[in-house]
Amino acid sequence: MTHGELQKFIGFLMKQGWKVFAPEKQPDEVRYVEVEDAAKVKLITEPPLHSFKRFLVPPEETLFEYKKDKMAEVKEAERQVIFGINPVDLKAVVMLNQIFERDPWYQEKMRRTLIIGQSLIPENVEQNIFQTEYEENILEHLQFDIFLEVQGKNYFVYTGSEEGQKVLEDFGYKNYEHIAYAGPIKEEGLDPIMVKYRDALRKNYKKEIWEKDLGTRCIECGKCTLICPTCFCFDIKDQPDLVGGGGVRKRTWGACFYNDFSEVAGGHKFLRTTAERIHFWYYHKFVRIPDQIQIMGCVGCGRCAKVCPVGINIFKVLAKL
Amino acid sequence: MKNPYQTESVKILKIEDEGSRSRIFTLAAPRGFKVKSGQFVEISLPGFGEAPISLCSDPSIKNKFEICVRKAGMVTGALHEMKKGEKVGIRGPYGRPFPVEIGKKRNLLLIAGGLGLEPLRPAIWEIVKNRSQYKKVQIFYGACDENDLLFMKNYDEWKKKIDFHITLDKPKGIKTPMACNTGVVTKLFDSVKLYDNPVAFLCGPPVMYKFVIKKLKELAFLDSDIFLSLERRMHCGLGVCNHCAVGSFFVCEDGPVFSWAELKDIKGAI
Repeated sequence: MTHGELQKFIGFLMKQGWKVFAPEKQPDEVRYVEVEDAAKVKLITEPPLHSFKRFLVPPEETLFEYKKDKMAEVKEAERQVIFGINPVDLKAVVMLNQIFERDPWYQEKMRRTLIIGQSLIPENVEQNIFQTEYEENILEHLQFDIFLEVQGKNYFVYTGSEEGQKVLEDFGYKNYEHIAYAGPIKEEGLDPIMVKYRDALRKNYKKEIWEKDLGTRCIECGKCTLICPTCFCFDIKDQPDLVGGGGVRKRTWGACFYNDFSEVAGGHKFLRTTAERIHFWYYHKFVRIPDQIQIMGCVGCGRCAKVCPVGINIFKVLAKL
Repeated sequence: MKNPYQTESVKILKIEDEGSRSRIFTLAAPRGFKVKSGQFVEISLPGFGEAPISLCSDPSIKNKFEICVRKAGMVTGALHEMKKGEKVGIRGPYGRPFPVEIGKKRNLLLIAGGLGLEPLRPAIWEIVKNRSQYKKVQIFYGACDENDLLFMKNYDEWKKKIDFHITLDKPKGIKTPMACNTGVVTKLFDSVKLYDNPVAFLCGPPVMYKFVIKKLKELAFLDSDIFLSLERRMHCGLGVCNHCAVGSFFVCEDGPVFSWAELKDIKGAI
């Protein structure tokens, strides 16, 4: 597929009623924006500051509206295209798909979302801490609808779903290859990087990391949880109308650094210190998620280090585990 | 797709004061609803939110169940304002219960602190109502003072069938249906002879767990013979939101009842 054809394809999707979100190079950062002119869509190696996360797990979403004791059904999601997700971030899509497999709101969004991946991965360790490479067989362990492998100025097109095939066929493009998803775990077995960090963190509690270093530096701002493509913890709360007895039950992003995250009735907190909270964050990504679904809860995008106001760098922390 | 957050609306059949600060709400049970000791429901009051509350009634009672609630937050506060005949939303029951069946083969030692008697009450009723099926059972119950004692009107019936001991940390000298010892719950180990090789069920605050487990280990209890129920903040009740995570467990789904063998190596579990 040529770049011209790709732009026509994006224009075709927009005409079909899809909202298309694509990364755009802005003066300071790359950010996802809603595409208005398909001719401006580009593939960018620099990953967007904010990942795709908010399109699938929004900062705030309505679970249902209530009026007295009647509750509304899950609403149909809008059709959206998330364009240009690289293989590092696609690993986060795979993880979220498993975490939210029984969640009707997430699944409704996924059902109405077209994911278009692409093969440009940053080489620098700050944005690719596990040095993920675009290699053979990587695609069969990722989930996407369409994937664009950059070949010089053109793209080789893969599909990963029937929906991906359907939109390409409707557009009139047939020169694609289908890849069957083989699950997140490679044939060779569990990811050795995952096993290494999981075992290290589970077996050793190093006071010098959690209490002496991170516990004294982290200011519990929670920026890392907002920016992380795999941080998905949430709160559920009601927002009643001021009059009339109706209202909504909402799900919002939660952050394990915040004071009330572990607070129970009566005021007791189970995560009391900064050290306990940052340990909980690392434990979730590197032990709990691997125990639960056998893949790492960190894709190595490095966004948390980039936004941390006190310079905590996940790459350096992992090296000390 | 099935919505796991969908609540069922059930009627409040009865409200009674319990102890000085709690109320027992008898709720109509949805079809197929079963009470197991240690399990909980999410109580939903639109406009206020949800709160996980332990089931505390006799499992043999059909069509209705009880929760015993102290006013401690927004949802429980709103619940205390409700009247008989009004409706509340529920989902559940959730969680892994106490393995009460073990009591058919082994002696049991139930240790409760404060509100911790609530989740153990279904087990106590199950044993009392089917006494011949179970081996010997002892209860150690510790509370702050006489005003905090829960389920006082059940004691006469329970103590006929179970070796039941109460201790009060700071007694006020108020008359109670049965004599109480003085001191924290571990003091009972000094004055009461335990039955042979029991399995222990614990429910109470973290500080009680620290002292009771230390005591049980001194008495050579196996880690796998100690079961305890953990309290944590919960939002989803479905093992997703991570508020209740302990190590790699979710208290809502893998617990709230765990064996000490599962928890002892997890930092911050108790």
